[in-house]
Amino acid sequence: MLAKRIQPLASQAKRLYVELMFQVMGRALQAVSEVDSEVQKEAQALPEGFLFEMMVMPDGSKLIVEYIGDGRFHYHGDSAPRPVDVSIKFKHLTHAFLVLSFQEKTSVAFANDRMLVDGDVSYAVRMTRVLNRLESFILPRIVAERAVKEYPADLHLPEKLISAAQIYLKIATHFVQTVRA
Amino acid sequence: MSNTYYEFFCPVKVIAGKAALEHIPYELSGLAAKRPMIVTDKGVRAAGLLDPVIAACEESGLEIVTIYDDVPPDSSTTVVRDIAGVYRKEKCDSIIAIGGGSAIDTGKAVNILVSEGGNDIAKYTGAGVLKRPLKPFLVVPTTAGTGSEVTSIAVITDEKKGVKLPFTSSYLLPNAAVIDPRMTLTLPPHITAATAMDAMTHAVESFTCMAKNPLSDAYAAAAIKKVSRSLLQVMDNSKDSDARLELAQASTMAGIAFSNSMVGLVHSLGHATGAICHLPHGLCMSLFLPYVLEYNLETIREPLGELLLHLEGPEIYAATPASRRAEASISALRKLRDALYKRCQLPRTLKETGKVTEDQLDQIAEMALDDGSIMFNPKEVTLKDARAVLQRAWA
Ligand SMILES: [Fe+2]
Repeated sequence: MLAKRIQPLASQAKRLYVELMFQVMGRALQAVSEVDSEVQKEAQALPEGFLFEMMVMPDGSKLIVEYIGDGRFHYHGDSAPRPVDVSIKFKHLTHAFLVLSFQEKTSVAFANDRMLVDGDVSYAVRMTRVLNRLESFILPRIVAERAVKEYPADLHLPEKLISAAQIYLKIATHFVQTVRA
Repeated sequence: MSNTYYEFFCPVKVIAGKAALEHIPYELSGLAAKRPMIVTDKGVRAAGLLDPVIAACEESGLEIVTIYDDVPPDSSTTVVRDIAGVYRKEKCDSIIAIGGGSAIDTGKAVNILVSEGGNDIAKYTGAGVLKRPLKPFLVVPTTAGTGSEVTSIAVITDEKKGVKLPFTSSYLLPNAAVIDPRMTLTLPPHITAATAMDAMTHAVESFTCMAKNPLSDAYAAAAIKKVSRSLLQVMDNSKDSDARLELAQASTMAGIAFSNSMVGLVHSLGHATGAICHLPHGLCMSLFLPYVLEYNLETIREPLGELLLHLEGPEIYAATPASRRAEASISALRKLRDALYKRCQLPRTLKETGKVTEDQLDQIAEMALDDGSIMFNPKEVTLKDARAVLQRAWA
């Protein structure tokens, strides 16, 4: 308990940041899946009702999305309606922070044993590709290049600008809806 | 890409060399085991490979309580359940797995059931399910390639659901791996070649993929040197037990390397091709290795160039300008493949296998993209890329 009280501010900030990033990613994932055909194509190999989780061990922030068919994801916030199918678990808050603040690429984090995959690896691989695509969409190119192994060559600027705008718009409305509800 | 963090783990005791089998009784007694069960396959038994193991144990007054010799090439949940039943009935207290990848994986899975209880191995699938050490477990590899004796993973087919169940836990690792040159002496040429190329691929991928680290690099480099020096020697004289031992050790070292730093696209393509066209794993490795290295070339130029020293030796390494070494490494591997083709017709292209049709390439590419090892390939692979590599490997 004492440790909890004297927890440095930096750690709390990290926690908040990770939580916020999970929320942004969850909403963005839902939004991207409504507009991007690449993400939809990847998603279509998943079984309907497939639940995907990203979380910080042992019991930290969570991001849960469900594949609802037709290439679409639904963001569930941080609670799953039933046991998840695939979980990507960060071993420590710091590792999640490194990845979500784009200081360590997702693929490098995997290679560095920063996170574990629980569940069917082939689905995890697919979700990693979806997340990469997502990152290249929602982040400015310079940051995205740090986050993913390779910046997709087929993501031309106009397409990116238009899609990113669409996505931001959707995230914004989603936020507003949440606040209203 | 500099990798500033890594993990390395290998708690398996390696018992290697002449008369290594004779250490089995001592090792088991050190683990307080008195009633071992042997898990193996018909091929191993037919090749007479059980005899020296049984003799070694009997001479020390250790009785092998029972032998299960019917492990199929693709082990299943039913087989695992049956073996666990025999183990319990005979009141065994330890397992000796003798064979290639399938017998070893079966041994690992049986060990889960007999240690944790129950009859349903599917219950233990996934990562980190096991929380405590299992029963005493020794592995005696009879192929020099898979490296399963030092990996913490087992794959078992659930025939009813038609899926492959992965089990990962460091508790699956055997207490000891016993590497005795007698056990690989009778391996036929094409299996010797294919399994050695599997080991070579483990080492090369481990040295060039994303999770490479200084410790796994050391094992990988040493394994590459051993395979390069000894494989053709064994191909020309199958009874050369020194060279056989070199290959067996290389396989274990490559196993230690890749279980700590993972593999990449060669394995993704190989797993998919194996599943769709029913080709042996080692053959697929040998086939895809140069094409994948060419695809990854610009991302791995430096480490691949370094490997020339271990592939070709110091003279050729020194005589090759640094800027040409990566290409020279690929040529060295191609040369080795040509030599193997000459000696045992180990296929170098998909067409040469005679078991793949060109219209299957799309399906193979799709499946490769879902393979876990693709995450560790140094270069991001799209469906188009995978398809292009397959096309180059076609003919
Ligand atoms: Fe392999």
